Amino acid sequence: MGTVSNVLMFAEWWLYFGAAVAFYFLTVGIERIDENARGAYVFRPLLIPGVLLIWPLVLWRIAVLERNKPEGFGRYRPLRTAHGYVWLVLFFAIPAIFVTAMLLKQTWPADIPAVRLSPAEAVSQ
Amino acid sequence: MSVKYTPVQWNANKYGYDLVLIGMVVLYILSFLNVAPMFLDHARPTDGPIVRARAFGTCAFLLLTIILCIGPLARLDARFLPLLYNRRHFGVLTSVIALSHAMFVMDWYFNFAPQSKLEGLLGANTSYGQVLGFPFEVLGLAGLICLGILAATSHDFWLNFLTPRLWKALHFLIYPAFAAVVGHIALGSLQSQDNSIFAIVVGLSTALVCGLHALAAWKERGCDKRGNADAGWIIVGDAGDIEEGRAKIIKLPNGDRVAVFRHKARLSAIANACAHQNGPLGEGRIVDGCVTCPWHGFQYRVADGRSPAPFTEMVPTYRLKLDQTTVLVDPNANEPGMFVEPTALPEHMQ
Repeated sequence: MGTVSNVLMFAEWWLYFGAAVAFYFLTVGIERIDENARGAYVFRPLLIPGVLLIWPLVLWRIAVLERNKPEGFGRYRPLRTAHGYVWLVLFFAIPAIFVTAMLLKQTWPADIPAVRLSPAEAVSQ
Repeated sequence: MSVKYTPVQWNANKYGYDLVLIGMVVLYILSFLNVAPMFLDHARPTDGPIVRARAFGTCAFLLLTIILCIGPLARLDARFLPLLYNRRHFGVLTSVIALSHAMFVMDWYFNFAPQSKLEGLLGANTSYGQVLGFPFEVLGLAGLICLGILAATSHDFWLNFLTPRLWKALHFLIYPAFAAVVGHIALGSLQSQDNSIFAIVVGLSTALVCGLHALAAWKERGCDKRGNADAGWIIVGDAGDIEEGRAKIIKLPNGDRVAVFRHKARLSAIANACAHQNGPLGEGRIVDGCVTCPWHGFQYRVADGRSPAPFTEMVPTYRLKLDQTTVLVDPNANEPGMFVEPTALPEHMQ
């Protein structure tokens, strides 16, 4: 149980840090880096689950946007390099998982005809 | 949605989409709860929480399959584009249903465990070194976390904050999530069922998702014309081939795509990727003088690549020139939103 407890403790601390980041970001940070968010409050609670889950990415983006450097054309360029990885998952990983699981599937013992192991006369009941 | 984060884009279509979606989910779950127990082949009646867990679990899997099919279907046939329009709500609903499945399972199987339910779930089986008997619950949990991240970052704020490029990269998590869910089902539920109906459904769903993606990629590859270079300029083709209000898409040597539009007998070029979710602008048409993205209806003025006020989205523009009737594009993109004087077509082509 030691490993499991450690994993759960890590997840717990991850969420605590996320809550701290969410508090800062949704009260102060968001207005500094996104002018469209100034004066718009109703949508902010919707962002809390996202910040809790990906807070390191949020901190990194705040740092990038605070520097006020133009982000160049990268912002407008579609992500085509990831298509190879999608192919790998769709056409290798998923069929492999499904086919392997079906090939290794065991039949239920109930499907196997009963075999008498002891002669009838040796059975008392 | 660049003008404040207010629900300015809610309209009757979106309300209709969500109502139909929720109605179909409710109908499926009610049908499953009433019909499935008759086919479960158990010696004793199945407990309610187990049937409920299965109803929500199968519903989440079917919804995930449909979500993954919408993208390639819209690439293959424009009639499926309306399904793409509000796909994010589809995704959020799927993650809520998957979470409900997980809650039913935890509340039933781990309710009286001496430790916490999650600790029970993760610690009950740790045979990670074998295929049969693999702790399939962990695969379900991994899929659920991926779906949770996708749902939690589905608001348009995240697109603007993370940039469309990074947002798309994050949302490619849908594929490992699907793989994890297929593993969760194949190594879990399907191992203990005599009835092969569900195995066939899962197999066909998986084949459908993979097959449609392959078909869409094949079609895109066939349409992707790379422009030939002419003294640094790239040849787009004959101006007469471009219909009024429509575009021709050309691939530049650096891999970027440019959409060359014809509007009122003049030509303009902008980047093909929408600033919202990288939708293919060149497959859209000009509505009210603006290029309209076929995915979510974001609009850009054709000469400067800017969304009309009060919106603030921008895409890069490109310079064009004509050599008689041959259109050429400068492969060096201008700054997003930079005005470029449209190129007038020769009189005989107007």
